[in-house]
Amino acid sequence: MNKMIFVTLPVSDMYRSRRFYEALGWTINDAFSSDTSACVVVSDAIYFMLATHDAFAAQSAKPLVLPRDGASALIALSCEARDEVDAMTDAAVAAGGASLHEAEDLGFMYSRAFADPDGNGFGPFWMAPAAGN
Amino acid sequence: MSRMIFVNLPVADVAKSRVFYQALGFTINEAFSNADGACVVISPQIYVMILQRDFFKSFTALPVGELGVTVSSLFALSCESRGDVDAMMSAALAAGGGEPVPARDLGFMYNRSFTDIDGHMFEPFWMDSAAANS
Repeated sequence: MNKMIFVTLPVSDMYRSRRFYEALGWTINDAFSSDTSACVVVSDAIYFMLATHDAFAAQSAKPLVLPRDGASALIALSCEARDEVDAMTDAAVAAGGASLHEAEDLGFMYSRAFADPDGNGFGPFWMAPAAGN
Repeated sequence: MSRMIFVNLPVADVAKSRVFYQALGFTINEAFSNADGACVVISPQIYVMILQRDFFKSFTALPVGELGVTVSSLFALSCESRGDVDAMMSAALAAGGGEPVPARDLGFMYNRSFTDIDGHMFEPFWMDSAAANS
């Protein structure tokens, strides 16, 4: 079986966050969701576990800093094309997220950045297939 | 092409973090690495970018948390067996990682938690796939 990653992200309003991530085109796996958590399926290898602040704190021995006050990670996601980068970012902004900075265009790579309603930071990007080799 | 995720983490010392993640059995993609950062390959879809803290800051307009003190996300990685979970844990502890919370054993799921040398939290876990689908 392929290795899977589940990125647990703290959210303040589970209902609002479910709608936000569904607006990006992803589905929720309700078998792994509850009142305090929701499993967003990004691909068969990549999942975001949305967790209420209490549920997040129960998993972590360290104090939670809200992502908008002190990010400890940024999540970059590959896209098939520049258009998909724009579409994902535009959908995020329309659904209550925020664009974090202007698009970065290096020719062989194109990226934008957005935050979800809680400030969790994402960077959708496209890279020319030959650029990594 | 399958979607790829790059988890970008701020670290105090890229060279030390390279040693730590290699000790877990992961490789470094040198084509995406330099003095300020390194690309840790976890699978063809999953990568961890360890970035010197000031370099990390250049990617975000948001304030950056204090390393080792606070946490704003957790990373769970699936493993093939309980033995694989324990092996990853043992390698992390031997390489200077910490174990902030005890193992959790639910029968159909087994997970442990480790922090890397900067305090980023990972949770290797095994889950009975039949239980997951029921």
